[in-house]
Amino acid sequence: MNKYLSIIFLVLLSVVFITIQTTLLSPHNLNYYYPDLNLILIVFLAIFSEVRGGFFLTLGNGYMMDVLSGNLPGTFAISRLSAYLLVRSGSNHVYLRKALVQGLVIFLATIFTWIFILTIIKIKKGDSGDITAKYILIQGIVNALFGIPIFWMIHRINARFQK
Amino acid sequence: MRFLKNRAVLITILLFFVSLQLYSLNLREKSGQNFISQVVLTVTYYPQKIIYIVSDKVMTTWQDYMDLVNVRQENIRLHEDIQKLRVEKFELAEDGIQNQRLKKLLDFKEIPSYPIVSANVIGGSPSLLRSEVIIVDRGSHDGISQGMPVASSEGIVGRVLTVGDRSSEVLLITDPISAVDAFIHRTRVRGIVKGTGSGCVMEYIEQNSDVSKGDKVISSGKEGFFPKGVIIGTVSDIETKGNFLSAQVSPFVDLDSLEEVVVILKTNNNIVLNE
Repeated sequence: MNKYLSIIFLVLLSVVFITIQTTLLSPHNLNYYYPDLNLILIVFLAIFSEVRGGFFLTLGNGYMMDVLSGNLPGTFAISRLSAYLLVRSGSNHVYLRKALVQGLVIFLATIFTWIFILTIIKIKKGDSGDITAKYILIQGIVNALFGIPIFWMIHRINARFQK
Repeated sequence: MRFLKNRAVLITILLFFVSLQLYSLNLREKSGQNFISQVVLTVTYYPQKIIYIVSDKVMTTWQDYMDLVNVRQENIRLHEDIQKLRVEKFELAEDGIQNQRLKKLLDFKEIPSYPIVSANVIGGSPSLLRSEVIIVDRGSHDGISQGMPVASSEGIVGRVLTVGDRSSEVLLITDPISAVDAFIHRTRVRGIVKGTGSGCVMEYIEQNSDVSKGDKVISSGKEGFFPKGVIIGTVSDIETKGNFLSAQVSPFVDLDSLEEVVVILKTNNNIVLNE
């Protein structure tokens, strides 16, 4: 029962996060300085979630990003799934319990997903707009700063369902 | 090569190639109307609408409070404006009558008018990669379909990219994949207005054309999306690019602070993107 509650909580959280990211924290208004809540949630799923559906939740979250940003299907879905798998593969590491390391993982996941997307766009000679290395670094830092308290908050609520 | 033994790294490499293939297939237009995209737009519509209503109420209350400050001076100024507007209204009525008379004389063909649907902007893109996308609270339920032009009282805004049941995504004219066939209002010189991310540029203008700073740019209606004669922006700079002229265009509409737009219910089956 608790497992299902945990899944429902994470699905609802995904919708809430993407809604906030398309309204109050949309880069259309905030430009570079917006926290990518969607990516923060995916890193959380990779590190902490014991839910087996984490893979599909990540795929769903990435697809929501694709649809709501008007990008090609797979742009965010696949890059975020890759970040999820990479973080997941090292999620048993004892250092990942430290907030500072979690912040570093969020920062690296941000850098990884952008490099993944921009490499594909570069190979296919597509248009990546005004995204520069400076932007990627700023977003990595913003995500890490916002990610640590968000992790703490989700972890506390989610732990209640997983007991 | 030891890292290749890690299953996650191998899957990531595999996913990279899958992503590369998906990018080549260019599924944007096909996905615009697919069922899952519509579900995503519908699921996010209600929370987006709630946030829009709450934030709108907060902003309106704050604005009302601010408006109360210096209301007396504002009242005096408005009375003066009313007097001026009364004079202008009389002059416009006179011009209107004269206009009708001249149109009859010239056997003028009216520009076809299309039905419109007004919509509130309830959200924007969640990513900086294609951030020139907004979400409006009207969808297929209100008669909107993919490709319909979107405008505001000041000019062209963009066109509908993806349609949900109750909400739709609008690709702004400043997005790099947006392209509008246009001409200079003063000289009728043609070109294509493309988005640059932060603004617009009018390209493919013939070398010896008469274009100068401050010229107004309007839609030509040739590409079949936008009705003819809708204002796009003003020429702010001109440079030579190969055998053509290229003009920087400042959009008339402030696309960063859009609140309300109108969707022109004009259908066109041809999808034209700048890619």
